[in-house]
Amino acid sequence: MNTNLIQNFIINRQNAGGTVNSNNNRKEPHKKPMPHFDIHHVLKNKDLIKPQDGQGHLVNYNLFNIPLYAVKDTIYDAKALKHVLKGEANDHELGKLNNLGLTVGGLAIASYLFTRKQTPMTKVMEFVGLGSFLASMAIWPKIAIQLPAYLVHGFNVQKEYIDSAGRKKPFAQDPQFLPWDLCSEQKIQKIGDYMGIDKNIPNRRTVIQDEMKKKFIQNNTLWMLTAGFATPVMSGLICNQLEPHISKFLNDMKNKKADKILNNIDQYAEKYQDNKIQTRVEKILNLYSDKPFNKEFEKLILESFSQTLEPAVSKRLIKDLKAFIDLEASSYYNIDEKAAKTIYANLIQKFEEGGVQKEFISSMLPNAEVIINNLKSNSFMNKNITASDFRNVTKSIELMLEDMVEEYNKSAMPDKKEDFAYINSLLNNNKNGEHPVKKIKPVVQTNKITPKVVEKVRLIAEFMDDFRAKMYALDEAAVLKIGSAPETVIANYWNNTSKDILKLFGITPKQFEKVRFNKSLFADLLRDRIEKIASDDKLYNKVMKGLIEKVAVINKEIKPDIMSEKLFQKEFPDKRGPKPLLKPLYDKKVDIVFEDTAALLHVNGLTRTANLLSGKGSGDDISVRNLQKAFVSDRLLGVKSSFYRLINTLDFYRRIADTPASIDSIDVRGSLSKEIKEELVELCKIITLEGHSSDHATKFYMQRNQHPAADNSSIEVKNGKVINKYLGATEDVADIGGDKYFYQNAMRAMFESPMHHDTQKLAEASPIYKELVNYRDMSMEILGSDKYFAKLRHLVRDPREFGSNLKFLITGISTDEFFYKGFQQVYNTHKWKNMFGKFALGLLGVTVLAQFVFRKMTNPQIKGNKNDKSN
Amino acid sequence: MILPVNNLNNKVNFSANSAGEDNKKALDYDHDTLLNNNLATRTRIGLDKFTNAFTLYPAKGLKGSKNANFYEFLTMGTVPYITGSLSLMAVFNAANKYYKPFAQTKAGPALGNKLALGVLFYGIAKNISKSFVSVPINLFTGIDIERPYAKVIYELPDDVNDTDITSIEYHKVFESVEFPRWDLLYGDEAKGQKRNFRYDRIARKLGMGRNLNDSDQEVKDRIKEIIVKSNLAKNISSYLWAAVGVAFAFQQPWEKYFKAMTFKFWKTEEFSKSMRILKESFEDSAKIFFKGEGHGVSKQAGKILLGTALLSSIVGTAFSLKSSKKPSKVDSADVIAKNDRYVVN
Repeated sequence: MNTNLIQNFIINRQNAGGTVNSNNNRKEPHKKPMPHFDIHHVLKNKDLIKPQDGQGHLVNYNLFNIPLYAVKDTIYDAKALKHVLKGEANDHELGKLNNLGLTVGGLAIASYLFTRKQTPMTKVMEFVGLGSFLASMAIWPKIAIQLPAYLVHGFNVQKEYIDSAGRKKPFAQDPQFLPWDLCSEQKIQKIGDYMGIDKNIPNRRTVIQDEMKKKFIQNNTLWMLTAGFATPVMSGLICNQLEPHISKFLNDMKNKKADKILNNIDQYAEKYQDNKIQTRVEKILNLYSDKPFNKEFEKLILESFSQTLEPAVSKRLIKDLKAFIDLEASSYYNIDEKAAKTIYANLIQKFEEGGVQKEFISSMLPNAEVIINNLKSNSFMNKNITASDFRNVTKSIELMLEDMVEEYNKSAMPDKKEDFAYINSLLNNNKNGEHPVKKIKPVVQTNKITPKVVEKVRLIAEFMDDFRAKMYALDEAAVLKIGSAPETVIANYWNNTSKDILKLFGITPKQFEKVRFNKSLFADLLRDRIEKIASDDKLYNKVMKGLIEKVAVINKEIKPDIMSEKLFQKEFPDKRGPKPLLKPLYDKKVDIVFEDTAALLHVNGLTRTANLLSGKGSGDDISVRNLQKAFVSDRLLGVKSSFYRLINTLDFYRRIADTPASIDSIDVRGSLSKEIKEELVELCKIITLEGHSSDHATKFYMQRNQHPAADNSSIEVKNGKVINKYLGATEDVADIGGDKYFYQNAMRAMFESPMHHDTQKLAEASPIYKELVNYRDMSMEILGSDKYFAKLRHLVRDPREFGSNLKFLITGISTDEFFYKGFQQVYNTHKWKNMFGKFALGLLGVTVLAQFVFRKMTNPQIKGNKNDKSN
Repeated sequence: MILPVNNLNNKVNFSANSAGEDNKKALDYDHDTLLNNNLATRTRIGLDKFTNAFTLYPAKGLKGSKNANFYEFLTMGTVPYITGSLSLMAVFNAANKYYKPFAQTKAGPALGNKLALGVLFYGIAKNISKSFVSVPINLFTGIDIERPYAKVIYELPDDVNDTDITSIEYHKVFESVEFPRWDLLYGDEAKGQKRNFRYDRIARKLGMGRNLNDSDQEVKDRIKEIIVKSNLAKNISSYLWAAVGVAFAFQQPWEKYFKAMTFKFWKTEEFSKSMRILKESFEDSAKIFFKGEGHGVSKQAGKILLGTALLSSIVGTAFSLKSSKKPSKVDSADVIAKNDRYVVN
């Protein structure tokens, strides 16, 4: 039997004259307190039954144990879920479920919106948004409350502890139950010192704890009041900061994927190889095989090609296939009894009309049975026979007649005898209608879908499925890199480069704000800025260097040996003459795919389709192969032209600012009037900055003085701007339609005059030099050779028709539009960031300042005297 | 209960038996009181908590009042929910007026408005959907897991003149699974109610039999289990329903409503038109959400989300109703082997 030690202890003490402090005897006077009663000593008595030591402790996070706690917490949560599922959980475990629900709900929302978004970036951002939201919820109280409070009050207001049952809880969760016993005396006193609480105050620990409790409550409240404002804004700012990095990562991934596709086109084509055409065709063939050929069959077969192939290809393919089916399906014949009777009737008719002896007919050809028996004996009856077999039918009938004539002549009177030569000529003479046998040909044509048709259709379907899969792979690679869609490599390049260039030119969002709703005001602002840059040596070199560097990135992103536009790739001729153009990988792959398929089609008799694909016979320009290539090169041309135009524009302004005399020698006829030069420079400045392809098409329109002053001096320039002496001085102005020289001079000034030596030096050092030179050259070539009916002689090259698409692409986006559009985006982002960045900072400031207010709210009576140095 | 020791004026109204005193504070309750779970009570409680969350509790909290407690902290959780929702809308909407070209496309406001609507639907769906679990459980078991009660709190006086030391908190009988307020569920015999009438009903509905001697003791374990499980069901399903709410708000037809939206109810013609379009947009959005757009998973996403939410409520409820306590296969009479010898001290 166990001894009840407590009971013994009490009894012993009572016997010893001591009292047990209880409510019942509280009011009884103390008799004689036990000397030296030390509860700790008593509790150390091993014989005494006592509660176990508490296991609770404060959680002190550091860099090393955070992962450990994370694992422990996860295990705890998993156990909590298990307990909940069993229906045995406690309140703390149930509380843990809220986070689980929040995450599940958040993931459900993100997943749903993920499916609704079109591009990888927007899809990824759904989850980034959720992640940043949850992260903001966790981070805000740490940086805005925990840290400042620690610095101001000297303790962590968001401390956590683990109780004896292993449950982790915030220390200050319930101010009415703070587990002070977990905090050491030393620690509390130290905090009291930090808070400046009087060191001599009685019950100092309790006083410190009360103050700490106050701070806990205040900070919990502050957290609730600020978190709602902070979390979404912080989340937005985090997303904003993360976006470029994620975008870059996705961009690199896309770029690599596109290269991979091009290098393994067959492998990637398998991904798209769904045998769609073959499956559809097979179904139709199963249904119609060996059955009469009809329009329905033809329609279905043609549809199965046209629904999956490009319209141009399917149209041509359909024509080829139709011709083949028509020919093939109608080349069999089936002679039945009815047909035999028709042959007999035809024969009799022919004989009667040709005057053949009636006796011969009645004795030798009394009825159709004769014909039927003949055909049967030669196995021509009720059977599919080919066209050559059909000729044998005719022959056998003729042989039969020959035998008959011979037979008949044996017994016939001499004047009644028949001559087979006559009969034969009668049969083959088309005067009295066709040959009696041949006449039934159209009637007995079988029109059956023969195995040959089936085989051919099957084969073509296989080719075209293969072709389609490869085309899709090519398309995917092309779209990933240069597609006119958000987040393609070229779109990302455009967006990033525009932003960088805007920064480079140094127009601030504040300047933009004033003119953001008016493009022409913006153009003025931009022109001022460019003139400023052009007139400053140092600034110009810096901006032009940056510009060329940024633009050159395109050849890193989309390497010319993978995809390129032909126009700017022309190599400079060396001593051995012009160098051949290098064919980019994409073009090579397109050639292989198209030529292989075309060859297969050609062998199988689909020549027209083959030619359309490969361009043979029909001219390469309109071949599908060329279209496939143009899809890439056109897009690259448009983008590159826009950036090279920007370089060219800045260079032109520089030439005017730095070497205005360069204009003096622009005219082939000799020196120009100063007034014309002023007009010319103004026009060129406007066209380089704001010109569209329509301006080039109409050979520029400018109201000029028809009687320019006879002053041939050079134009004057100050700070990049021309000091006009004559321009704008007279109102008697008009566009001089007959002055082709003015147009030619303008074109030469913009695209042919040597670049400024600074630009030349910077460009030569860059990998895009060749392309820049070619751009200027091709602009002269394409824009300067275009004929305009109203100004027929306004040409700088021999007239040539390039097509409006090419003229549009080489003109590129106008410089002012490029900046205007770019700035809209930059401004919006800037405005948003500015607005919410300021808000977030303000909120952070208020939240941090609140700690000082809380510190001020400390009870002044308990504050220690700063001059008191007794302790 | 600790009384204020230096209560000079002795004006303190502490307890139930102080009714009729002149200085009686107009308290709704003088002791912990079980409340009916109906719309009126829920609205009243909701309003009370909402008002306090934005006024009294922050004021107490910022002063660091010694009476601030966990209930107040939890109730203040409404504040970040509301302010967070408003901020979230602001993040997408506030800067729009500066982006003229962007705003003109209507893309900006449409997204912002959808987000605002999403926040609204999130809240509505999350709250309503809890009843998808609690109502069937009440129906099948008689356990009202959302049953509220008013708790009377005696606070410490702030100073000697502070006589207003009571406050009312609204809790739920089963909000703690470890300490449910069993006591509140007993009938008041003074009013002629049977002491165990509520527990009897639950026992009957749970199929534990009628006229049990101690129905309260019999059903407590089962109630606890149901509370724990239904908490999980309520929690997960409510967030999934909230997701349905957001997804529903992100449908394109709402844009039609945003264009015609007006809250100026005094302009009757415009307002009624806006209401009509609201109805149309609601119907169209519901259709598109369910039928889906695009192809593949995108097309099915609405159905999948709705199905998951629905399933979570149904499975959650069924799971809550199922007892995990399997009846023992061994008859109690057979637990002791009759032929063995036992020594009892």
